[in-house]
Amino acid sequence: MSDDTIAIGGDEYTRVAAVGDIESNRGIAVSVDGIEIAVFNADGEFYAISNRCAHQSAPMCKAGEKKINAEHTWTESRGGVNAEACTVSCPWHLWEWDLETGKNEASGQRIATFDVAVRDEDIFVRI
Amino acid sequence: MGSSIQRLDSNAEVPEEAFDVDVIDMDFHVNPLEEDLEPYIEDERALDRLTTEFGMWPIPDKWDAAYAIAEGNEGLFTQGRAEVAEDVYEACQKFAIDTPIVNCALNMLPQQHHPVLKNAVLEAGNSYMLDHFVDEDVPTALSIAKWDVDHALDELDRWGDEDGVVAAYSWFDPREPWGVEAFDPVFEKLESLGLPLLLHGSLAFWPQHSYVGDEMLTWTEVLGFDWPIYGMVNTVNMIMRGVFDRYPDLNVVFQEAGHWWIPFARYRMDEFYEMHPEDVQITPRKFEDGGHYLDRAPSEYLRDNIYVCTQPFALPRRAGEARGMLDLSMASDTFLYSSDWPHQTLDPPTWFFTSRAFRDDEELRDDILHDNAEEILRL
Ligand code: FES
Repeated sequence: MSDDTIAIGGDEYTRVAAVGDIESNRGIAVSVDGIEIAVFNADGEFYAISNRCAHQSAPMCKAGEKKINAEHTWTESRGGVNAEACTVSCPWHLWEWDLETGKNEASGQRIATFDVAVRDEDIFVRI
Repeated sequence: MGSSIQRLDSNAEVPEEAFDVDVIDMDFHVNPLEEDLEPYIEDERALDRLTTEFGMWPIPDKWDAAYAIAEGNEGLFTQGRAEVAEDVYEACQKFAIDTPIVNCALNMLPQQHHPVLKNAVLEAGNSYMLDHFVDEDVPTALSIAKWDVDHALDELDRWGDEDGVVAAYSWFDPREPWGVEAFDPVFEKLESLGLPLLLHGSLAFWPQHSYVGDEMLTWTEVLGFDWPIYGMVNTVNMIMRGVFDRYPDLNVVFQEAGHWWIPFARYRMDEFYEMHPEDVQITPRKFEDGGHYLDRAPSEYLRDNIYVCTQPFALPRRAGEARGMLDLSMASDTFLYSSDWPHQTLDPPTWFFTSRAFRDDEELRDDILHDNAEEILRL
């Protein structure tokens, strides 16, 4: 096991970021052994989900990015995290994905989700 | 051995290969603020009225299927709002779009009732685009009125020769189709200027304006089918009424009218025409010119004079099916890539780099992404 991995309950978890790397209600994307994962901070809770939307492969990590000239539109961001509903909407066409189950209600489609553990100030993901 | 972990670059939103191919986006919307358009209203009387009755507002007391979009009408700005050239460049970078053809998206204008004010807003939009985009070397499609041919001609006289104006932009709707002979002076002028006519879906026919439309209660019907129906009707009307026999070099681009209806129109037009072509001689242009039949089969005009924007592409997932559809649609001659930025139906060029239909046929990919556009735009 390298410095980047820890064992929890017999499973190997890989360190993907520090807690401070991801601002509240935003996400980052990492590739772990070629698997693209978006890690979101939903009001202090961390979730990991496939970084590719099942609709047209938008990078989910962009959800919540501030729009160009957002002050002249009615919502601030391109899609985004809804911490209360525990969902993230895609930055391109706003499909909503459940951060825990990876499910999109309307289409019944699912994208992968990954278990997350926070240890000290580090975020680990089970691949 | 440890895992390989890599933080991904968060700017690019489409596959890397997209950045190696020229991408021309035929439908990129700019939305100036009303206060930024006002200085361009030249007539004081019009300006006075525009403070209470400006261009882009919804019809009150009517339903709007945009409630199906998570953000409601905000779906118009799902990606943001481009006001100046830098905004456009910033947005295009993410999606590997090299050449955005920008337009001033006054798409609610045709539904407004006041002819003087409509023309004033349209002119102001064009003047704004000339200052902020044409002068900044962003290829631009400027607007012409469908509701006022003389005004359209005046506008073409004003800026039709400008370098950087690459197309004229107008709208299709369920009112009189573009095959009507009254539009001939516009076609003649466009042909002489070498400008294609881009016809965008217009909120002028948000379907509460028709009986059938009034019963369309869902977004899928309204945007998915109402617009394509009128795109198709306009296409067939222009072809059968001899527009392209009189103006063979005129190129017409339908934006947001769908594109998979091309095979249907292609075979059905030819079938019906070949069965009973005798009525063509009494359509006004043929009647005047003494012509008996169309010069060519209807599908040939579809191939040569009509273009359709691909947004949203909705390509079948199986490459074989996709290839069949593309072939039947004469896509190498008729399809033009468009993103529709910043709307909720945004279509980045991802399809062209993920579907095997294009991996196996780069020539077709390049036709749609840039070659066809280069052929018709005055770039
Ligand atoms: S790509 Fe995610 S909603 Fe379309």
